[in-house]
Amino acid sequence: MPRTLRLFLPPTVVAASLVTAMMAAPFGSDIHTPLSFADATTMLQKTAVTVALLAVWMFAAVALTLLSGREIRYSSLEMRASALHCFALGLVAVTSFVLTAIVFSYLIPYHVGVPLLFALGVFAILTKIYGMVAVFHAVGTLIAGSRTRDQLAGRKWLRGDLAMVVIGVVILGAIRLIPVVGLIVWSLTSVFGIGTALATKFGRREPWFLAYRTAES
Amino acid sequence: MTKDDCQRYLEDPEANAAHLQTCAKCNAEAIALAEKTDVAPPSIDLDALPLAPWEGSSHRAWPLVLGTAAVVAIVALALLDAAGMSPLHVVEGSLASMEAMRTLLNRAASSLRSASLGAQVAFGAAFVIVNGLLIALLRRAPRGIDA
Repeated sequence: MPRTLRLFLPPTVVAASLVTAMMAAPFGSDIHTPLSFADATTMLQKTAVTVALLAVWMFAAVALTLLSGREIRYSSLEMRASALHCFALGLVAVTSFVLTAIVFSYLIPYHVGVPLLFALGVFAILTKIYGMVAVFHAVGTLIAGSRTRDQLAGRKWLRGDLAMVVIGVVILGAIRLIPVVGLIVWSLTSVFGIGTALATKFGRREPWFLAYRTAES
Repeated sequence: MTKDDCQRYLEDPEANAAHLQTCAKCNAEAIALAEKTDVAPPSIDLDALPLAPWEGSSHRAWPLVLGTAAVVAIVALALLDAAGMSPLHVVEGSLASMEAMRTLLNRAASSLRSASLGAQVAFGAAFVIVNGLLIALLRRAPRGIDA
C-alpha cells in the first residue's frame, strides 16, 4: 500500500464511520414499548413496511442471482476473503457518494447538475442492490454453506447460490426487524455491500483503471 | 496450506510426498515435472482438497426458494392488511424518503453556496481527498480466488 494511502486511510475511515453513524443513528426511533393504541398501530405499520420491503429484497435477490450467479459468487467470495478492505472501500464510497451528490446539487443551477445527479443516483442504487445480494450470499454461505463434499452431496435443498442467497435474506431480514440493532446492522451491511460491489467491479474481477505502460516495457 | 509446507516439500520431495495430496499447486508442478521426465505423476486425493466455491453452486433449490418467498410475501401482505395499508403505501413511503433525501441534498448545496470562501475551499479539498482515496482503493486487485 502506498505511503500516502496509509496516511490518509485511517482518518478517512474514521470520518466516514462518523458520517455513516450519523446517517444511521436512530434519533427518531422509538425504543419504548407501545403505551397507547396509536403507538401500537405505528409499530405494526413500521413492521408491515419492513416485511414488505424484505419481500421485495427477496424477489430482487432471486432475480439477480438467476441472472448473474457467478458474479454474485465472486463478490461474496471477495467479501469473505478481504472483509476489511471491502468495509473500508464501502465507507469511503458512501462518503464519496454523499459529497459528490452535494457537489452535483450545487451544479443544478448550471443545468449540468440534474443529469449528473440522476446518473449518480442510478449508479448508487444499482451498486447497493448488487452489493446487498452479494452480502446475502456471503452470510448464507457462512452460516449454512457446506464445509465438506460429503455434506454437500448429502444435502437436497441447502446447496447452490440461490439457496444461499435466500438463507442470507432470511437471516438479515430477521435481524432487520429488531428495532434499533436492525437498522444499524442493515446500514453496515449496505456499506459492506457497496464496498464489495466496487472492489470486484460487480463481480467481473476486472480492473477499474487501465495500467499505464511505457513503450519499452 | 502454508508456504512452510511447500518449502519443506521442495527441500525433500520424497520425505514429504504426502504434501502433494493436499496442495494443488505443488501437485500441478510435480505433474508438469513428471511430464517432462516421463515419470508417472502421483495420484491426488481430490477429497482431501478444500471444497471449491463453485462446487454445487449451480444447483437450484426451487422448493426452498419458492416456499420462502411465498411465506415472506404472505406475511408481508397479512401485516399490511392488519395495519390497514396497501402495497401502494410502501411504494409511496419509499418515494417520500427519496424526496426527503433530495431536500436534504438541496439544503446542503444551498448552505455550501452561502458559506464562506474558506468553507467552500475546505469542502472542495475534502471532496478531492475522499475521491482520491476511493480511486486509490479501487486500484487494488481483488484476491478472492487466490486467498
